[in-house]
Amino acid sequence: MDLAIKDVQRHLGKFIATIVGVGLLFAIVLIMNGIYAGNVADGVWLIENTDTDLWVVERDRGGPFNEPSRLPEDAWKSVAATPGVSQASPFITYGVQREIRGKEQQYTIIGYDVFGGLGGPGRIVAGRSIERAHYEMVVDEKLGVALGGRVHLGWHDYTVVGLTKGAVDSGGNPLVYLALADAQEVLYQQDNRALEAARATSLKRIEAVGNTPEQARRLLPLVSANSDTINAVLVRLRPGTDPTQVAQHIQNWLYFNVYTTAQQYDLVVAGKLKKMTAILGLFRILLIAVSIIIIALLIYVLTMEKIKAIATLKLMGATNWVIVRLILEQSLVLTVAAFGFAYVLVELTYEHFPRTLVLLPSETLITFAVIFVGGLVASLLGIVQALRTPPSLALGG
Amino acid sequence: MSVLSVRGLSKVFGSGELEVTALNNVNLDVQAGELVALIGPSGSGKTTLLLCISLILDPTAGVIEINGKDIYRDGRINIDVRRFRRENVGFIFQAHNLIPFLSALDNVALAMQLNGVGKRESRKRARELLDYLEISHRADYMPANLSGGEQQRVAIGRALANEPPLIFADEPTASLDTGRGMKVMELLKRVAREKKSAIIAVTHDVRMIAGFDTLYHMDDGRLSRTDAEAAAALGAPH
Repeated sequence: MDLAIKDVQRHLGKFIATIVGVGLLFAIVLIMNGIYAGNVADGVWLIENTDTDLWVVERDRGGPFNEPSRLPEDAWKSVAATPGVSQASPFITYGVQREIRGKEQQYTIIGYDVFGGLGGPGRIVAGRSIERAHYEMVVDEKLGVALGGRVHLGWHDYTVVGLTKGAVDSGGNPLVYLALADAQEVLYQQDNRALEAARATSLKRIEAVGNTPEQARRLLPLVSANSDTINAVLVRLRPGTDPTQVAQHIQNWLYFNVYTTAQQYDLVVAGKLKKMTAILGLFRILLIAVSIIIIALLIYVLTMEKIKAIATLKLMGATNWVIVRLILEQSLVLTVAAFGFAYVLVELTYEHFPRTLVLLPSETLITFAVIFVGGLVASLLGIVQALRTPPSLALGG
Repeated sequence: MSVLSVRGLSKVFGSGELEVTALNNVNLDVQAGELVALIGPSGSGKTTLLLCISLILDPTAGVIEINGKDIYRDGRINIDVRRFRRENVGFIFQAHNLIPFLSALDNVALAMQLNGVGKRESRKRARELLDYLEISHRADYMPANLSGGEQQRVAIGRALANEPPLIFADEPTASLDTGRGMKVMELLKRVAREKKSAIIAVTHDVRMIAGFDTLYHMDDGRLSRTDAEAAAALGAPH
């Protein structure tokens, strides 16, 4: 006879309420797992989907994702001439917050060489890739703009010619692909007043070092900010080439920093996502601990409620295993049912979350194992109390 | 041969100045089918005697034999205690102590299943027992939905489940009104006669004394035989 199940049936309402409560806590743990995996997936999406072997960035910089990196646009030509390099392309990326169709939106602009260069959108789910030098864009469907729609950026309107799915930056914001020149224009655009102010400041600076106004006007183009800059050069190597050797060559001769795709991946995971990993890990531990304490207390209360029945069972000659099983099974039923509830809830709702949730089966399995062990631990308090109960407690009124 | 034979049983709690002798050289013989009452004031040692005979408490000294088999001798327990209780002792309590989350039928069947009887067989025999105790119409009721008398019948069924030679009853009628108490006493008598179980009941219930075959009076840990008249003369035991 399964005493635990019989007792659960008697306290069904209390059990269901606890399963729902604890299940919601477990659901938060699973969501945090999903947020973490989603963050990693988002954070490295661009790296994994760029189909490049090396990332060349400004000297002593961890760019282009972890910190700003600025390279002259023609740096790609020097990189392309490096032995072992099959193809090199300029690449630009920056996050913006602009109004699109009356709504402020955050997204990341990717500028690339649209005529066969690296760094373009990988898989387009609708429409086509950018085929003209200007005023076309490919956006992720998360941006909410339909194919053929027009988006005003800077001084121009851009037509959406292609849509991607799941193309996001490390913050989960959609990617917007533009031709390199368009991306540079949007990035460095200034209105006339800002340009005038910058020009006046530069002229004053040149005059301050002993130049006449005429000389200053002539020297101005040489010191003006150059908008023909990029953030990185993407490199594809010839088959059989050792990436470390090529990276070393570029570092030594061109004075740039070079990362392999694997290094770039590590850089993002160990840098940008490290703190989030720690915070999410801490929250997961706290939530699991709280859940286990709740289960332990409920099991303890249920044990105390039936302490006289336990004493009677002992008096009737029940073995310790019968008593232990009664409590242990209830704890595990509660834990497993709460986890099942959490799992179903998250499976049904995760697609509607504003952040990308990635539910990895391995992560879910590990969480279940931890929670299952927690359920075992939670029953200890009740088990100790039950085993300490003397059978003589059954006697008397 | 006696079902139960107790010789020189003593139980001492504490030591030195705090020493309390709860049982003092108790001798007791109970035959199969005998209905025995232990009466006496509160704290006289009645429940301690039941606890010691059922080996819930370890006696300090003496000998306990069940059906001629030595189960306890001078500080040494010679059997597996829980198995001994499953096979040889049934308990009936003042508060019935049915397992609250089991039906009447399951309460009786559980006692058998703890003793190794299969699920189907135990349920069949439990139903027969409830039928014998005229409570089978309530077999599927939960204890909370049974009256006090009905609960006590189920408790008697549970005590009888493994056909033990000994049944210990702790105040079996104390929580029942006179009518129901009388019915329970009649039932215990019938069980003792027909099932050949010896029943030893601790009771304060002077209304029921006449129903017992043998009366023992306990005072300050000493046990002495008495009769209904003397018991009445002692006044209602407290």
